[in-house]
Amino acid sequence: MKAFSNFHPLVLFFYFISVLLLTMFTLHPVLLFFSLLGAVLFASMLETPRAVLVSLGFYVPMFLLIAVTNPLFSHNGVTPLFFMNDNPVTLEAILYGAAAAGMVISVMYWCRCYNTVVTSDKFLYLFGKLIPKLSLILSMALRFVPLFKAQVKKISRIQKTMGLYSSESKVDRLRGGFRVFSAIVTWSLENAVDTAASMRARGYGLPGRSNYSIYRFTPRDGAALGILAVLLGGSLWGMKTKVLEFSYYPRVAALSLTPVVLAGYAVVSALMFLPFLIEVKENLVWNYFRSKI
Amino acid sequence: MKKDLLALGFVLLIVAVLLSGTKFQTVEEYYLTHIDDITPESETVTVSIECSNILKNWDDLDPSLQSEEFVPSDGVILPPTEYVLRPGDTVFDILERAVRYNKIQMEYQGADQNIYKSVYIQGIHYLYEFSCGPLSGWMYRVNGEFPLYGCSRYELKDGDVIEWVYTCDLGRDVGNDWKEEAGS
Repeated sequence: MKAFSNFHPLVLFFYFISVLLLTMFTLHPVLLFFSLLGAVLFASMLETPRAVLVSLGFYVPMFLLIAVTNPLFSHNGVTPLFFMNDNPVTLEAILYGAAAAGMVISVMYWCRCYNTVVTSDKFLYLFGKLIPKLSLILSMALRFVPLFKAQVKKISRIQKTMGLYSSESKVDRLRGGFRVFSAIVTWSLENAVDTAASMRARGYGLPGRSNYSIYRFTPRDGAALGILAVLLGGSLWGMKTKVLEFSYYPRVAALSLTPVVLAGYAVVSALMFLPFLIEVKENLVWNYFRSKI
Repeated sequence: MKKDLLALGFVLLIVAVLLSGTKFQTVEEYYLTHIDDITPESETVTVSIECSNILKNWDDLDPSLQSEEFVPSDGVILPPTEYVLRPGDTVFDILERAVRYNKIQMEYQGADQNIYKSVYIQGIHYLYEFSCGPLSGWMYRVNGEFPLYGCSRYELKDGDVIEWVYTCDLGRDVGNDWKEEAGS
């Protein structure tokens, strides 16, 4: 159990929605840097730092792929580096691609954290009464990828135990991977139907049905929600009034460092680093208490 | 292992084909174009590029473009200049030669990428379609008339005068009142 996930599901859901919104609707390099760093740091508190390092092996190539794709399609920008088939490949387009890639990857990291913190029972607690069918579908969709990954691991282990795909050849292993994949697609369809049928059998969505987990909205949750609302409001205001705006074309804008802009950065970074800081604080408190025993 | 090597060879082959089909040039190489000298017997056309409409709609212009560097104070990006007409040249060929010779940035959508089977000019001199309001973009006039079809399908003849103008109102502010469309 982690400190940040002890908050009321409403607070947690509000937090992730606001972080995702902010990240998705900006291409400002500083904001994206805060968002990415905040997400990676928080993920390394939730999982082990090692697991996050391993995941970088997937995200870094993806970052590069997105970053180099943009200059192939966008030729705007005042700094051509070279010409490819008579079209300029510009520095501005590469930087824009890098920002877009950073955005995609921070959203993916936040979703990783979301999956660990807002478990499906919390999601159903929040929306199960309000919109039973939609919330079941949403919670199944959000859980889909982690479940898929776990099942892939399971099946490929079983296949290995049975002596399949033991060949060293990369091509054979790839083909084995395809077979596991096709097995898993069938399984996931079946699993979705099973889950829905099972939920119905348990009377899901009927009036008077109680929840598996009970959460109480404490004054601490209220305070947290208030702080989050203020931080989100401040960031949105900054984006709306163009204080936190940034343009890449035709020339990369200079980063302004006026007091208003710095205040905007402070608000956004407070929002992005909040869960990480809470985890760090709780760890320190825990170690302090333990040292007293 | 044999299979791996085969697969690797196949991937390398694809990469090699892709690379050999791509032309790489440094910036200097690209701009090192040859322009035909005008002789008494050569056929010529006149090209100009201007964007004075933006000056009248300055508030609609993308803030990152609001500077003298991207919009000249008189709106003239290329004053009327004569270029030699090679046989079969279209408006696009002449424009491409002119901007390349004058090192003016231009981006276009190739003729194979849209349903009109013609090149579409997306932006000249960092001024793009939609840079100055939702109805803005580049249009061309030949001898004062808007052909209203793609610039790579208009073949030129001796003495034609081509004007590339930036519109902020779908052509109405540059003198194209869409008579044909209104009648049908």
